[in-house]
Amino acid sequence: MNRMWSARAVIVGLQQMAPLLRKELLEAWRDRRALLMAVCFSLMFPAALAGGTIFMVKKQSEDVTRLAVIGAERAPLIAEQLRSPGLDVEALAEGSPRALLAGDYDLVLEVTDDFAERYQDFRAPRLYLYVNSSDTGSGRAQRALQERLGALQQMVVAQRLSARGVAPQLLAPWRLETRDVSTPSSRGALILATVPGLLIMTLFIACLATAVDSSAGERERLSLEPLLVQPLAGWQIITAKTLAVASLGWLGSLLAIGALVLLMPLMPLAEFGIQQATTVAGVVAMGLVLLPLALLVAVLQILLALRSQSFKDAQTQLSILQIAPVVLLMVLDMAQIKLADSWQLLPLIGQQQWLKGLLVGDWVSPLWMLAGSAVTLVLVVMAILVGARALQRESLLSAS
Amino acid sequence: MSGRKRSATRLLTGAAVLVVATSLGAQAEPAASAGPAAETCYADGWSESLRCYRIPVSADGEVALSVLVAPAVNGGQREPLYLLAGGPGQAASDLARLLNPLRKLNRGRDIVMVDRRGGGRSDAFDCGLGAETPASIERFVGKLATCYQASGERPLTINSRQTVDDLETVRKALGHSQISLWGGSWGTRTALLYQQWYPESLQSLVLDGVAPIGTKVFLAASAAESALVELQQACSDDPMCAGFGDWRAQLDTLLASWSEEQARNFPDPLTGKTVDEPIEAWMLAGAVRTALYDPGAAAQLPFAVAQASRGNYAPLSGIVGLFAEMEGAMPMGLTFSVACAEEMNRISAEEIASDAAGTFIGDGFIRVFREGCKVWPVPALPYEAPQPRHHPVLLISGSADPITPPKYADEQLAYLDHKQHLMVRGGGHINSARGCVPDLILEFLDQPQVPLDQECLADIQRPPFTAGNYGPALLPRVPEADSRLAEEQQSGSESAGREVAREVEGGSP
Amino acid sequence: MIRVENISKSFAGTPVLRNLSFDVPDGRITALLGANGAGKTSCLRIICGLLKADSGRVLVGDADPALDPMGARRQLGVVGDREGLYERLTVREYLEIFARMQGLGGTALAEALAAVREELELAALWDRRTKGFSQGERMKVSLARALVHRPQHLILDEPTRGLDVLAVRLLRKTLLRLRAAGTTILFSSHVMPEVAELSDRVLVMAAGQVVGAGTPEQLAAETGCSTLEDSFVALAYGQRASAARVEGEPA
Repeated sequence: MNRMWSARAVIVGLQQMAPLLRKELLEAWRDRRALLMAVCFSLMFPAALAGGTIFMVKKQSEDVTRLAVIGAERAPLIAEQLRSPGLDVEALAEGSPRALLAGDYDLVLEVTDDFAERYQDFRAPRLYLYVNSSDTGSGRAQRALQERLGALQQMVVAQRLSARGVAPQLLAPWRLETRDVSTPSSRGALILATVPGLLIMTLFIACLATAVDSSAGERERLSLEPLLVQPLAGWQIITAKTLAVASLGWLGSLLAIGALVLLMPLMPLAEFGIQQATTVAGVVAMGLVLLPLALLVAVLQILLALRSQSFKDAQTQLSILQIAPVVLLMVLDMAQIKLADSWQLLPLIGQQQWLKGLLVGDWVSPLWMLAGSAVTLVLVVMAILVGARALQRESLLSAS
Repeated sequence: MSGRKRSATRLLTGAAVLVVATSLGAQAEPAASAGPAAETCYADGWSESLRCYRIPVSADGEVALSVLVAPAVNGGQREPLYLLAGGPGQAASDLARLLNPLRKLNRGRDIVMVDRRGGGRSDAFDCGLGAETPASIERFVGKLATCYQASGERPLTINSRQTVDDLETVRKALGHSQISLWGGSWGTRTALLYQQWYPESLQSLVLDGVAPIGTKVFLAASAAESALVELQQACSDDPMCAGFGDWRAQLDTLLASWSEEQARNFPDPLTGKTVDEPIEAWMLAGAVRTALYDPGAAAQLPFAVAQASRGNYAPLSGIVGLFAEMEGAMPMGLTFSVACAEEMNRISAEEIASDAAGTFIGDGFIRVFREGCKVWPVPALPYEAPQPRHHPVLLISGSADPITPPKYADEQLAYLDHKQHLMVRGGGHINSARGCVPDLILEFLDQPQVPLDQECLADIQRPPFTAGNYGPALLPRVPEADSRLAEEQQSGSESAGREVAREVEGGSP
Repeated sequence: MIRVENISKSFAGTPVLRNLSFDVPDGRITALLGANGAGKTSCLRIICGLLKADSGRVLVGDADPALDPMGARRQLGVVGDREGLYERLTVREYLEIFARMQGLGGTALAEALAAVREELELAALWDRRTKGFSQGERMKVSLARALVHRPQHLILDEPTRGLDVLAVRLLRKTLLRLRAAGTTILFSSHVMPEVAELSDRVLVMAAGQVVGAGTPEQLAAETGCSTLEDSFVALAYGQRASAARVEGEPA
């Protein structure tokens, strides 16, 4: 009976809150600066991600390693066999490796004078490879060369073995067959791992300006007190502000998801062996799981901002404080720590896991999503109650 | 439509058993349409996981085919590509390594590998000849006869019609509306038959090492000879290799004068001792023929022959060793059931003789089948004359292919009106993985109507010839070039003369 | 009617209000006169329920804001000192939202809005966002907000600060009209002439206590001074050091 009454009281309370909510929403959505910031960041990171992958693949596929072979005429077969679509080989009679590396070449291979003779005499002649390891592309260039050189070497070895009547399999006492248990979606998870973190960060950033404005800003503008003398309970004020702030943050992250989903077909994900498997249901679920988180982020930011003395102070504090959880998420992800299922109950970690799964088309347990979202919502309610108490703090009032 | 019906009635008169197999295949469809269950599996040569299905193809569900699917990374918006292995009888899982060069193609298309009945993981019909294949024909044939006796009706049921019908069952079971086929070697025959019998289900064809329906591919002696002649030519064009002189004449001499002692003292490439069973001349010729399949192995032939003619058999043994792993790769029960019914039964003794005449291999290749089919009696299953088809077809040939030379594709496929032919200069048997060929295949599948730019094929080179026991020459030895040039001219005209003689012989039965 | 009984309040150990008591009768304009730091704002905030008294009791009508803040706030209209508006809302939106918070709706809301618009001459400002309003315009909007739900009690903290003559006159006109309607009005100020002009009754506050109460004339008589200013100085800083407990006059 009592519980029914209190449920009704909450509903009546929420109805009473309606005009306040309208005020908060109007204020939040009319704040051009905050809106611009939210929209910009929401669109910026998917665009950067798409641009980055496209650029990376383009670079990978178009980059040709330029190799200069000094003394190529001493062993023409080497230069000839190294030549391939990814390896541009220039045969030079002589040259200074240092100067060549400083110029157009990624690698310089030097064939020693007596190379062919020593080779025929089985005296392991030397090839000198000059690299500039401070050059960012040198690693890739070396791999490209090793690959071709390795194939050539293998061919020579095979012919040498054959010439002695030895079956090549004698050199391979067994054959190692690799069996990769990853799926295209788990490979996708590796590359798209930053996306949930960035989505959550979008949420933080899209909420930030409005959260500060509606708490510390309101306080600084001395418009909080008229609100406090209205016949509204503290929880109603905090809830209305939370909803308004979360609406902006949530829409920001929805915008980011939308941009991401739209840009994904443009990203050459298949180049990485990644399936593009985000489903419509997945996108909807991504939006929904972010809603409770948006509320939590909003209310926590409001609580923190209420504590600060000024708008500027709040902005600084929040900027620092919001980096912490996002960094934590990324570290957790990069460290590839295997988390038990029950970790999904924790806000942030839960949402990150679900977003990751939904993004790459993995199955995500709706039960865990519901349970984790419920935990987040409980925390939201608790934070609202804490906020309601905070509104009673006398220090909140302006000094006069 | 009428073509299919006619062929069915003709097959009915030819082999009653076949009709049973066909109708069984047809009845299996509803059961399979429920959606087959897949499990994750692997195949050697491809590190990523595959989906494995067992698709029932008989009414009672007792016969099921093993099907491997490499799912498209991008969800497979395009028609899947089915890979048909050679043989007849090569396991589909042997094709898994082809997935590496076809990786790009696999992004938008599922790649499906089906083990035909009696092959690979589909209850291989290997007659116990898998691990140990006797070297002597007599003992091999003896084992085959025993196997035939023990196998009941089975040899009679296995044939291309059944394979193609099973393939159609698999297509429906996997829910593919249209498919493209890649056939390699004998797989091209299966693909071409599928095109005849199920044209509606087919989008395009990629055929590598083409064995047209009308071609008697088991008459392989002259094809092998042409490949060897082309190798000779390539060798004489190479300043270093030309230095080996007339190794071709040495090979002929070696094979002609091969003694029992030489056969017994031949070194074993695996143990380093002499061989357990003597290596007879026909086996040696067989090893040379096999080496021609792969340009890398063929590049070692001039040196190996030159050495052998001086009494050093190690390099030749090394070439035998290159194929040590391939022994027993085919399930012989399956191979003989198909080969005897569909190929050997339409080849006459005269044809064998004229094909073998003047070639280094002679009847060394076909003899195993001729002898084997004597103890493997199956009724002839002749093919219908192929009907015109309009599917886009990409043909791939190696100019020095010893078993399916490019002329087969050029001469026997007049009934196809949308075909392109890729020719890999100096290429052996199967070239789909070489150079830019995988890219061209993808381009073709994406836009079958657009003619391919074949320029990049010129970049595919023969591997360097073995120059000595140190391997390939890094530096052409220019000083001796003159003397070699003379020898080269001599050997060139000799082989040309031999070629003419062979053709004349073949022309008059 | 507002009753303040024996309230004391200290901030961080410094007493601000000491055993403060007074009554604010209905239908009268009562001024809380005191120097800066006398405790006027704290006193008003306790009445509004923004602050809690350390001891003592307040009644706003029949509600104690400490125990029944909602009940008290429904009977209160408050105009704070230097308070801010919502700059992204128009006057109409602003007033409508506050009216709704006070439970107005439907025709009652429309009527209430029309009434304050008329009363405080807001027509020209009505659909403008409040950003950049002058002090006088802000005062009008704040006053409109405090009045829109027709509270029985109106509390104004330093309402005349920064106002021009016209605005002060409008304020005075409005307060007089409200007084006529029987509204209980309590405002704080430290500006003598305004207090003298606006108020029916003055409560002189000093050091957290009421040191004198009555009409300006009564105060002058009581202190023997000729002006309110002199009386205030005498009461707040001087001669009557002992804290006299002044009974509020019955309404």
